[in-house]
Amino acid sequence: MRGSIAFRLAVGYGVLVAASMAALSVIVYVGTVGVFEHSIDNKIMTVEAHLADAWSAGGRAGLVREIDAQLHDLIDTDTEVVGLVDARGHVLSGNVGRWNGKLPQSGELAFGQMERNGTPVSVRFVAARLDDGNRLIVGRDLIELDAIRTVVERALLVSGAVSILLAFFGAQLFRSRLEARIGRIRRTTARIAAGELSSRIVVMGSDEFARLGDDINRMLDRIEALMEGVRHVSNSIAHDLRTPLSRVRSRLDRALQASADPHALVADARLAIEDIDSVISLFDKLLQIAALESGVRAGTFEKLDLAAIAHDMTELYEAAAEEQGIALTFSGAPTPIRGDRDLLASALASLIDNAIKYGRSGARVEVRVETADGAPALAVRDYGPGVPPADMDKITRRFYRVDQSRNLPGNGLGLSIVTAITQLHGGTLVLRPADPGFEASMVFPQA
Amino acid sequence: MPNCLVIEDDTETRDYLCSGLRAAGYAVQAEIDGEAGNRRLQETRWDVVVLDRMLPGQVDGLGILEQMRSRGDGTPVLILSALNSVDERVRGLRAGSDDYLTKPFVMSELLARVENLSRRNTWSRDAAVLQVADLQLDVRTMRVTRQGTAITLQPREFRLLEYLMRHEGQIVTRTMLLEGVWEYHFDPQTNVIDVQISRLRSKIDKDFTPALIHTVRGAGYVLSASPTYGPTAR
Repeated sequence: MRGSIAFRLAVGYGVLVAASMAALSVIVYVGTVGVFEHSIDNKIMTVEAHLADAWSAGGRAGLVREIDAQLHDLIDTDTEVVGLVDARGHVLSGNVGRWNGKLPQSGELAFGQMERNGTPVSVRFVAARLDDGNRLIVGRDLIELDAIRTVVERALLVSGAVSILLAFFGAQLFRSRLEARIGRIRRTTARIAAGELSSRIVVMGSDEFARLGDDINRMLDRIEALMEGVRHVSNSIAHDLRTPLSRVRSRLDRALQASADPHALVADARLAIEDIDSVISLFDKLLQIAALESGVRAGTFEKLDLAAIAHDMTELYEAAAEEQGIALTFSGAPTPIRGDRDLLASALASLIDNAIKYGRSGARVEVRVETADGAPALAVRDYGPGVPPADMDKITRRFYRVDQSRNLPGNGLGLSIVTAITQLHGGTLVLRPADPGFEASMVFPQA
Repeated sequence: MPNCLVIEDDTETRDYLCSGLRAAGYAVQAEIDGEAGNRRLQETRWDVVVLDRMLPGQVDGLGILEQMRSRGDGTPVLILSALNSVDERVRGLRAGSDDYLTKPFVMSELLARVENLSRRNTWSRDAAVLQVADLQLDVRTMRVTRQGTAITLQPREFRLLEYLMRHEGQIVTRTMLLEGVWEYHFDPQTNVIDVQISRLRSKIDKDFTPALIHTVRGAGYVLSASPTYGPTAR
């Protein structure tokens, strides 16, 4: 529970509410009760100063007169406490009664209990010592202050309790909402972990959780596509490796049985090696695709000229094309790109190879480097029979071979590798019928 | 007789390497792990080393190579590896290897590359005028003559011929040509190199005798005035 971020957020939220409530209470309390107390003190000190003046001006008689006037002036008469007491504590004048405890130092404001008009009350008062040893007591009954204090305290208590309750339930709600959203994601990931790879997080709204869900879904799409690829490859391997391997096996078997003839043995061994070589090259291709798709090599990219590579490959294949009765031409201007020279060359070589192989009847193959909307592209176009529309989207699949090409050499991995190389460079392989013929172009992102 | 050290842990491959290299005229010694190989390297001077990339024990092939190079030992090294990726090749070359070959390999390819390495020091690498029998090539003027007759070559054909002449009498494989002349490292699948060679041949050998460019079955090509490299040899 303590490790739960939802719990911690909820507790943090509760503590924050409680703390702000406490701060608010202090401010309200000081602003009401505190201000009222202060004004009482001010009034006491004003009256005390006034009476002290009367004492100085009129002596005892003046003071007693003034005390009476003070008590009967109809201002604050309900709460005023004024009196003159002698050193032994006898009340000489005013409405003061008996009091508990000692009188405070002269001029010092204090709280205390005393009788007012014969009723015991709590008071705030001063006891000024006069020159003749008597003491002048000026104070206030605190009944009003206590009433205000009670009201304010009760209000604060109630609002505090309510807000803490609200904070608690709010935190609970907050936590349960958070947990529900995370729980949905967790349930989906648990289903996926259990093998249900096609399940996806239901994305609602556009908040952080929705974005996280989106990201996870995108990741899952990619994983599923890769898994699908792996499944397809392993099926294909099972199929495509079995054929040459069983051929090798039967060949060796036959060779053993007819081992009397050394010539036959040599010929069989040679054919067996050829078959094994084709299996190895198939393996190499599959590993190459896997390595490309892992994207590791993108780290070794360098600045290249696409046209220079295209020119080199055209030149390399030109003679071989001519032997097949095909004119291989190159056109294009220097085009900078970041990439891997050998990989781009081998992808282009593969496309040229295909164009020569499948577009033989067209007698012409063009290699072009061009820039469309700022995006560099490397295109190979032949003028042969093209690809049947039904096969168009399948030809980049691993091991896929158009029916009428099964008699030609190849293993159906060429375009898969070209696709992987193009994608490693952030581009897309665009295949389209070119009437007549077929065009494959690697379109790279804008430099 | 050039001597060659083979460091390879797999018995089958080691025997195959040793017998192949011996048949080609090398004095061969073999070691099965990095530590023993390292000792051997420091005891004796070798003309060429064939080194397996993955070895049991403390040091693997690249480790041995790095130690050699840091000792200042510049013996040519061919790395053999089952790790077939361009990355690995680049790593091997960066660590100081001179060549890199992936397993499974064809013996003729290995021999061609080993020979290339062991002869490296004796090449007429910097010579400006190359001569094999009556064939002459001037690198500065880009002029090629045979029996005094000028032969016109395309720039790439010229470089192909130059490469063959600099490796006179030595088998060069198709991949070596693609690497050495075109400077690309990939397997072209089709017979592009053969077609290029046959074009070159039609210009160099067609109207003259003896033929200088010979095909070595299952291996590659060799340029030599000696008729022992004729079609029936090897």
